[in-house]
Amino acid sequence: MALGTTTEKKLDHLHWPLFICTIIICSLGVWNLASAAKNAPTLLALAQAKWMLAGFLAIVVLLFVDYRWLQTLAWPGYIAALGLLGGVAFAGKKVLGARRWLQIGSAQLQPSEFVKLAVIVILARWFTRDETGIRKGQYGLLDLWQPFFLLLIPVGLIMKQPDLGTALVTVAIAMTMIMFARVRWRDLLIMIGTAVAGSVVAWKRFLHDYQKQRVLTFLNPEAYAKGAGYHAIQSVIAVGSGQWSGKGWGEGTQNQLAFLPEQHTDFIFSVWSEEHGFMGAVLLIALYAFLVLAALDVAANARDKFGSYLSLGIAALFFWHAFINMGMVTGVLPVVGVPLPLFSYGGSSVLADMLGIGILLNVSLRRFMF
Amino acid sequence: MLVRRDADDIREIRPRAALGALICVCAMLVLVVRLYQLQILRGEDYVSQSIANFRKSLFVPADRGQIRDRNGRTLVDNRPSFDVFMTPAFCKGRERDEVVAKLKDYLHLEKEDVDRILGDYQKSWTSKDKLERFRPFLVELDIPRDQVDVLEAHKTEMSCVNLIPTPHRSYRAPPSLGHVLGYMSEVTPDEMDDHPEYRRGQTIGRRGLERRWEKELRGEDGKQNIAVDAKGRELDKDTQEALIPESERLIPAMPGNNLVLSIDERLQEAADAAFPGRAGAVVVMEAKTGFILAMVSRPSFDPNKMSGRITKAELRELNEDPLKPMLNRVMNENYHPGSTFKVVTSLAGLANDKLTPASTITCTGGYTLGSHRWRCDKPAGHGSLDLKHALQYSCDAFYYALGDRLGLDAISEMAHRLGYGQPTGLDLGREIPGVIPDSDSVIRAFGAYTKGHAINASIGQGEINVTPLQQAVAYAAIANGGNVWKPQIVQRIESPDGKVLQEFKPEPDLANGHNGKLDLPPQDLEAVRKGLVAVVNEPGGTAYRSRNPDIMFAGKTGTAQVVALGGKQNLKTESQTYMSRDHAWFASFAPADNPEIVVVVLNEHGGWGAEAAAPAASKVISAYFQLKKQPVGAEAVTASTVH
Repeated sequence: MALGTTTEKKLDHLHWPLFICTIIICSLGVWNLASAAKNAPTLLALAQAKWMLAGFLAIVVLLFVDYRWLQTLAWPGYIAALGLLGGVAFAGKKVLGARRWLQIGSAQLQPSEFVKLAVIVILARWFTRDETGIRKGQYGLLDLWQPFFLLLIPVGLIMKQPDLGTALVTVAIAMTMIMFARVRWRDLLIMIGTAVAGSVVAWKRFLHDYQKQRVLTFLNPEAYAKGAGYHAIQSVIAVGSGQWSGKGWGEGTQNQLAFLPEQHTDFIFSVWSEEHGFMGAVLLIALYAFLVLAALDVAANARDKFGSYLSLGIAALFFWHAFINMGMVTGVLPVVGVPLPLFSYGGSSVLADMLGIGILLNVSLRRFMF
Repeated sequence: MLVRRDADDIREIRPRAALGALICVCAMLVLVVRLYQLQILRGEDYVSQSIANFRKSLFVPADRGQIRDRNGRTLVDNRPSFDVFMTPAFCKGRERDEVVAKLKDYLHLEKEDVDRILGDYQKSWTSKDKLERFRPFLVELDIPRDQVDVLEAHKTEMSCVNLIPTPHRSYRAPPSLGHVLGYMSEVTPDEMDDHPEYRRGQTIGRRGLERRWEKELRGEDGKQNIAVDAKGRELDKDTQEALIPESERLIPAMPGNNLVLSIDERLQEAADAAFPGRAGAVVVMEAKTGFILAMVSRPSFDPNKMSGRITKAELRELNEDPLKPMLNRVMNENYHPGSTFKVVTSLAGLANDKLTPASTITCTGGYTLGSHRWRCDKPAGHGSLDLKHALQYSCDAFYYALGDRLGLDAISEMAHRLGYGQPTGLDLGREIPGVIPDSDSVIRAFGAYTKGHAINASIGQGEINVTPLQQAVAYAAIANGGNVWKPQIVQRIESPDGKVLQEFKPEPDLANGHNGKLDLPPQDLEAVRKGLVAVVNEPGGTAYRSRNPDIMFAGKTGTAQVVALGGKQNLKTESQTYMSRDHAWFASFAPADNPEIVVVVLNEHGGWGAEAAAPAASKVISAYFQLKKQPVGAEAVTASTVH
């Protein structure tokens, strides 16, 4: 779509609360990273800021392009993402026993971050085009074999890395999108029921202790590598010791003295909670909640089904990442490596998140245009 | 291309988006509740856990008090040394294995040491106390200088290992004082339960003065709190100051108090040198105060060895030695006193009017009662004897007759009055009471009391058993005119800066039933003393050969039979096997006319008292008076100011 009216008028339609919320989270993220990486040899916070800036530039440029082009790009994007995953499987860089990164020149790329976006786009396209739901009134399980298949390939490849966290989040995002379509409640319950019952029975009846141990180690490799639950314990100590107002920026002993593991990536929220306390932590949770609600708002008000599903997927992306990450850091959920969007250090993750925000802004910008 | 969304779709998506928003808010609220629980409800707890993470307490050991002799010579002090400790929390998993392997290499550890270290390491992690893993445990005590250098050089590779400078006990006194001084060894878990001020790997006094005065000597340990990072590395000064409040950075140690003994180290050495036997005891005590000047119990042990790294084999050897080196013979073993006990029978006779200093009894070479004949040492008989000559020749028949007249209870009563049959009260740990039978105890043990018991007791045989220390107390009372003193070995306790905290005065032995007095007329004691003077100084006296040309002393020989009375009396001592030989006694005081010291010598299985004990006593007495003439000043001052 060409630009309709004036740029000025378009700016009125921009989802400003979403945009401002993003900027606040990004700023706090960089500031917090500066504390978490105070003793690191390189200026991680600066690198992170550069990625964010690149992300914002990408957003601004992409705002001029209608998001519906993504329907056309869905398949090429999906196939490219799978290609990158395949590349990781064969030529990936091995770090801590897992192949997750592709070395491109001096930069490293984590394809699984972009795969999530590709899956969101291709599922949005499928639900937009598929008529079965409308024809039947609602989806049965068998009607959904195509989206499940589309999901299964990348998830399988991610599991192979292995990166259980990303695989889980990808599945969660896809399931959220599926549940938003008109799926028969009975079939949903059957789906959930068989999954839960199957794993419980397998766990209790068919697995030997050593196999369970393998599963546990697979689920949670870091924790078992360094003595049971060391990461989880230290993280909870960091969060708890923040009390009401925290120890102050750069003053968190768990963070600064390296008792926190992975403090600039997966456990970045522990750093924030230790140094800024309950008040800071609640503020950040509120910001993420606001981001997700804003994304849902975009979804509800999108001009077409494709925009709705896209926004929904991105809302799910932010929600699951934030919830699983903060839940794991506070000991509510088991430790699985999932980054906190726009807070955890990592170029691929930041870029993917910024693209997601860009899509949301794009959808909301064009909500009144027919 | 353009797909208008249908009304159905809108109807569908809006409530579902609202539901999604609700779920999102609920999920986030769960997190908020969890944060409230962690940060607000349990915040304090996690704050202390986070402090425990970086805070490492190094303890600053207190200097243990010194022990000096009466002239200020240092008997025990501390020398600088290094102990190796390890903090489990700072080396986990593979790092632990690497560190242990390095320690094994650098410290030349045996497999059993490595097993012990790994065991202690494991215990720290499995302890219910979550902070236990942050407490350093002892890896190796008192390592040699070259190993200290090696560990210092590899310090950075082993951040969980600490070298703690710990003063170790240095026993400079001759090993013959081992029983008096005691030694140090690691506290047991039970002791730590009772005394939480002790930490794992610390030592506590065992036996002797080290044990008795543990509280005074120990002092109070200090503490140094430092901040470390997750790898156990010490942080820079600014961070230290920011994390550890100034008041908690260093709590200085309080050194322990010093003990000043009544022991004269030079006399102790002289007594040890003079004592000829393989086993036995020498006690030298001030006659007029009860303060002990020298105390030898042979064989002894080396407190340095016992306090240091004694091997299991060495310890086994000590424990299995038939001569029992760990036994303090001065106060924890009793012996028949033999003829040295005749002073008791004599005093009982005088006090009960069965005897006057002038009355005589005729010795015909033995004493017959009913069908039994008790033989005297001189088969031909001593003829008619008064008290003085009976003691001088040590005539048994005289005392058999006297004992027969007195009965056992009169002898027993006098023995208790002199301090026998009950602990003397020397404040040096466990002390045995000895055995002084009376008619009741004899009836209990044998069913009936016969005069034979009194006759055996009259010459210190039968059931009578005494310790060398009791002998010293009894002879001191006879020598000093009737004061039964409680023996003491500590003169005063001083603070580290030399202030006198507690001064010990002579104390009467209140346990003797007469408030520490003999309550005997002076002429009775005089009569016994005359006999004891004759023993040494008149021809025919049993210790005449040990008389001292420079100083006139008095004493009594004793030969305590180990095998049953009567049988092998005429055998030469050399022909008897060691363990069945008689014990040789000599109990003496000097000078005879104004006694200053009491010297008791017991030579276990030494044979005749006159041959195997009296000469040693004579040498000790000579040494005492020689040392008295020598100034103690110069030598003593250098000895105590070197450190």
